[in-house]
Amino acid sequence: MAKLRVIFENGAPERIVEFDPAKAPFHHDGKPGSILDILLGHKIHLEHACGGNCACTTCHVIVKQGAQLLSEAEEQEEDMLDKAPGLTPTSRLGCQAVVQAPDAEITVVIPKFTINLVSESADEQ
Amino acid sequence: MSNESHPAMIGPGGRPLRAAVVARIYDHASDTRSLFLTLADNGAIHFIPGQFISIAIPLSDETRTRPYSIASHPEDGAPYEICFNRVPNGPGAAWLFERAIGDAIGFSGPFGTFSLERAPAAEAIFIAAATGIAPIRPMIRRAAAGAHLAMTLLHAAPSPEHMLYRAEFEALAVRDAGFRFETMITPEAETYSRLLEQCDRRWVRGDTNRARHFYICGAGHGVIALRDLFRSAGYERRAVHYEQW
Repeated sequence: MAKLRVIFENGAPERIVEFDPAKAPFHHDGKPGSILDILLGHKIHLEHACGGNCACTTCHVIVKQGAQLLSEAEEQEEDMLDKAPGLTPTSRLGCQAVVQAPDAEITVVIPKFTINLVSESADEQ
Repeated sequence: MSNESHPAMIGPGGRPLRAAVVARIYDHASDTRSLFLTLADNGAIHFIPGQFISIAIPLSDETRTRPYSIASHPEDGAPYEICFNRVPNGPGAAWLFERAIGDAIGFSGPFGTFSLERAPAAEAIFIAAATGIAPIRPMIRRAAAGAHLAMTLLHAAPSPEHMLYRAEFEALAVRDAGFRFETMITPEAETYSRLLEQCDRRWVRGDTNRARHFYICGAGHGVIALRDLFRSAGYERRAVHYEQW
């Protein structure tokens, strides 16, 4: 079984999901087997304003462990990440980064600004 | 109208949504519709031309999030227009087609980086496939509002009735000598092969100018094929802007 540990930078309790990558898709948004797909399929919310189509950066995550066990970023994801606030060397879009190894252990951080970006856009106008 | 009157005003993840109301409906074709939305709180959506709103689609077992480009102009304020077509097995468009005047819609945003605040300091080529014209419409108006270099809009659609905003673009081309409007009526299955052929002939093999900026929007992998055509021909990566649905 693969393991995905999720740390929320806004202080929400950490979550750990165990799953079999071969059973993807787990939901219907994002690439099958992607971090977004896995989290939504296990009832953990990750924003995806564009529906998981690689057309925004609201599912931006920072990979703390296991980056090499994820699918390589394609050009479209890199184009989007170029415009993402708070970009780091291990930033990925949750809708595009697919967990491939059956025993992968991945840790991701959901950055505060990703969460705030969405809530502020809903509140401010 | 209050947020409590609509089940989707709490979005996925428990996030509160803004409430819009359907003020007007316009059918461009039997399968292509525009909804004109006002805000329940009489507020405004402050968006950059090209951005989208994220609409909460309440289904029987969950609420899904689907993006819709704002097709109207920021300068005009409300009502805000979104346009869409029926998509096979697409619950978002199906739900939107069922909306009536006065119905409430929950949304968040605007979002998106496929946007244009002012005309680029280069020749600009806008390429739209069918309803991919939605974000490009306000981008062109914004670019045309100020000083700009040559701009071309190439819009491909399956029939004249799917050539959305045609009269508006034709009128702009008449009064703005720096704007060219070109249409391509093509069967849906041939849209991108024909766009690729034309783009290759005109802007890749046609000359050695590689200073143009491209803004491409449509559904499907053809958008990526157009991106690759231009980038592999020597256009700067950041001069080729695209949004693929």
